[in-house]
Amino acid sequence: MTTTTAARAVPSPPTDEVGRRRGLTSARRKSLTGWTFLAPATLLIVLMSFWPMFEAFLLSFRTGRGTRMRWADPWWANYTRLFDDGIFHQTLANTFMYLIVQVPVMLVLALVLAVLLNDRTMKLRGLWRTAIFLPCAVSLVSYSMVFRTMFSTDGMVNDALLALHLTDHPVNWLGNAVTARMVIVLGLLWRWTGYNMVFYLAALQNIEPSTIEAAKIDGASDFRAFWHVTVPQLRPMILLTAIMSTNGTIQLFDESWALTAGGPANGSKTMSHYLYELSFQNNPNFGYASAVSYVILLLVAVLAAIQMKVGDKRD
Amino acid sequence: MTKTPLRVAKYVFLALAALCSLFPLYFMVVSATNTSADVIGSRLTPGGALMDNISKLTTQQNVGAAMGQSTIYAVSSALLSLLVCSIAGYGFEIYHSKHKDRLMGLLLLTMMIPFAATMIPLFRMFANLNMVSTLPAVVLPTIATPFLILLFRQSARSFPTEIIEAARLDGLSELSIFFRMFLPTMRATYAAAAVITFMAAWNNFLWPKVILVDQTFRTMPMLVASLTSGYVTDYGVLMLAVLLASLPTMFLFLVLQRSFAEGITGAVK
Amino acid sequence: MNINRRSVLGLGLGAAAVATLAACNSGGKNDQAVAGDVPTSGTLTVWCWDPAFNIYSMNEAAKIYQKDHPDVKVKVVETPWDDIQTKLTTLAQSGKLDQLPDIFLCQNNAFQKNVINYGDAFSDLTKGGVKFDEFPPAVVGYSTVDGANYGVPFDNGTAVQALRIDYLEQAGLTMKDFTDISWADYIERGTQLKAKTGHALISGQSGSSDLIMMMLQSAGGSLFDADGKPTIAKNDILLKSIDVLKQLQKAGLYVEVNSWDEYIRGFISGNHASALNGVWILGSVQTAKDQSGKWEITNVPKLDGIDSATNYTANGGSSWAVSAGKQPALANDFLKSTFAGSTQLYDTILPKAGALANWMPAAKSDIYQEKQAFFNNTAIYAQVVDYSAKVPKNNTGAYYYEGRDAASVAMTKILKGADPTTALDEAQKTVEFAMK
Repeated sequence: MTTTTAARAVPSPPTDEVGRRRGLTSARRKSLTGWTFLAPATLLIVLMSFWPMFEAFLLSFRTGRGTRMRWADPWWANYTRLFDDGIFHQTLANTFMYLIVQVPVMLVLALVLAVLLNDRTMKLRGLWRTAIFLPCAVSLVSYSMVFRTMFSTDGMVNDALLALHLTDHPVNWLGNAVTARMVIVLGLLWRWTGYNMVFYLAALQNIEPSTIEAAKIDGASDFRAFWHVTVPQLRPMILLTAIMSTNGTIQLFDESWALTAGGPANGSKTMSHYLYELSFQNNPNFGYASAVSYVILLLVAVLAAIQMKVGDKRD
Repeated sequence: MTKTPLRVAKYVFLALAALCSLFPLYFMVVSATNTSADVIGSRLTPGGALMDNISKLTTQQNVGAAMGQSTIYAVSSALLSLLVCSIAGYGFEIYHSKHKDRLMGLLLLTMMIPFAATMIPLFRMFANLNMVSTLPAVVLPTIATPFLILLFRQSARSFPTEIIEAARLDGLSELSIFFRMFLPTMRATYAAAAVITFMAAWNNFLWPKVILVDQTFRTMPMLVASLTSGYVTDYGVLMLAVLLASLPTMFLFLVLQRSFAEGITGAVK
Repeated sequence: MNINRRSVLGLGLGAAAVATLAACNSGGKNDQAVAGDVPTSGTLTVWCWDPAFNIYSMNEAAKIYQKDHPDVKVKVVETPWDDIQTKLTTLAQSGKLDQLPDIFLCQNNAFQKNVINYGDAFSDLTKGGVKFDEFPPAVVGYSTVDGANYGVPFDNGTAVQALRIDYLEQAGLTMKDFTDISWADYIERGTQLKAKTGHALISGQSGSSDLIMMMLQSAGGSLFDADGKPTIAKNDILLKSIDVLKQLQKAGLYVEVNSWDEYIRGFISGNHASALNGVWILGSVQTAKDQSGKWEITNVPKLDGIDSATNYTANGGSSWAVSAGKQPALANDFLKSTFAGSTQLYDTILPKAGALANWMPAAKSDIYQEKQAFFNNTAIYAQVVDYSAKVPKNNTGAYYYEGRDAASVAMTKILKGADPTTALDEAQKTVEFAMK
């Protein structure tokens, strides 16, 4: 299907300089080709995502346990229920804490690493690159086990702190809400910094090195050249990673589940973890669980819209 | 020469980052050679239990089958995903219009909802089509991801329009421009995307375990989960399985990393 | 919206299947299906987890059944509990119960929740001929909903206290000093042991309520009453249990650890002098092969000042469920002739897998009297079977996990200094909110 439509679209008439991507003379035909290119992906997403999402949306207005469902009265009852749910408030606060602390640190770190490793004069770049990427390829099972072992009361982190006389008491890292959240943030940084670095590395390949050299010839320092020449060109990719990390963190499940089991006293539990419990561990309350998932959607959507507004400008 | 301290600082920073990154990996490898009691006791030196762990793992579990299943799912999912999403991402950017921007925004919405919420309607859909426990049912929902479309859309932004115009003048069809101009130029992006999608498909857990009702077709992550479900976990065997489950992504990264880090953009121009 | 609307008919017989349920189930009256004619051939599919334990036992059961029923095949599919729960939920919520296997293993704590919600998935086994009075009442209780039996108990969750006898000796103590005692005695003797040897006795994962839940059950207490109403606030037994835990921690006998791995490490590394949990914990204890002969087991301490207090309790365990839509008569007959009727089966799986019978007639077998070298040549299996008959009953209901989690939040707060009454009131409110 794609092939035939696209084939009909040739040959395209030459475009004038001002036209560029917008306002082409054979705009209609071009636009049709564009739509054809989008069609397979869009169709799949509509079927595999939008339809189930629509069902989940309807479900969020129903109430009852298990399969004994009825329309909620009033129909928005699951949403007002959120205001009275202490566990939900706690998980919302935890999730935002992870978002605010972890995402900026991770992205800056990933960007710095990517730029360092893009410098062709650095030695052993393949080694560093691989080492820093590998954490996200390590299975969650072993990663959580290593982290739990390192941060156990008799673990290496406590041993080190004791040896350095930074504390005279082993810290119960996962037994305390504040430190448990800290361990989760560290875990996220460890696992996903290299992952984001990969996107920056790929994007750096598309930057014309001459633009940076030109800036340096004009007398700009390394940092100024980076800030004024490299970063603006990386903007589309920075936006992408920011949206993805925001999305991933607000939907965070793995670390809460495998590292701390949400504890202590729900102190590190995330919204997605709570959603999973509502559906598959507790007496199943799918109507309410759907409402929670739509709140998650709304939060990500608003944050992503803000990020797009700020970062998605075509020069 | 004033730059020497800075260079040293750069290497120290990289070495620290690499060390932190590699330590859990090292623990995983070493643990695969240790007995359960040694793993629990955080032994950090290689032991002699590797052969024992291998024989225990292979007699208890059909590792070959699970690796095979996972490979089939991950490879087909990654290949289809790259094709479908890169065409879409290219379409969104190169034929950019207001309506397409709006559509992109809508598509992005679908990744913002937790999968646990949409899983049951999705399952019902496949069950009504009698597709439970089939390969297409595992793969189809993973092909079109808004994230990958966005990645290619963002990358296409740096694709020089001059190339497209020149190609059109040469009489190339729009689709050929995509395959013969865009695809090779964006090798770095494709390589990075291949690693990411393969990894996501390989580690996908919740959907395969639900749609593969017949657990005989289980994947590696499902096998690993089985190893921790009993009353007594053999941590040496577990770490061996986990190591095996991590190898394919690592291998793919090793193979592809040069292409996305030392790209060939210049060659095209 | 295609969610099946199902109403609960009465209370006992499970829900009636309506609408799109595509199962071959004739619908509704699941209680007669198991009593029907038993086919002489067919394939039974079974979902369960743990190759060394449940799967091994099921395969042995199949061999025994096949002696008299050569045309019946049993296909065991390894499925972890989390997966069984997720699959059961997904299949039930989407009306595809025909995808369930004939038999699946279900955690005792989750059994009532699933029967109450997804009654269509389960066969009522009450009239199928299994003699439920041959199992301890507390164990049968987990899979009983409104007087009807939905599960054949298998895995034994009876609690034991395993102790390092070499440490006891160093402190001038014996197993007798820890048998049939109260928690006050325990703290006194434990303090003596700690002073002499430096070893703490037990540990628990921070935030995990396993220990207090065991204490609660030991005195016949529950988080819910028989009608399923939460009884967390002003629950004297629960208050006492948390108080004991607080004293244990203060005396340094109880150590909070971060994870299950660390919990296991606590005793196999020789750091902690005991393990107190369901009998299945002995599997992990025995991984420390160098400690063979240094362990013995006894019953657990009882709560002081509570009339109903006993030295017996349980943690975990699981039971076999028969799904409704498949071959309930055959599946029921299979379970009746094996897990609820074959001494030979238990004689095989006990020595090989350490799988203890809940089925009391099996415990008369000589094999239960055999002395175990790891446990200093004591007959631990006979001991456990003796305890299991004395475990008080405990109500789980549909909201067990909500209750347990709320109680553990309260426990965590109390251990950090919160007022116990207030913390339990809050927990009660949390559960009441979840039930709204």
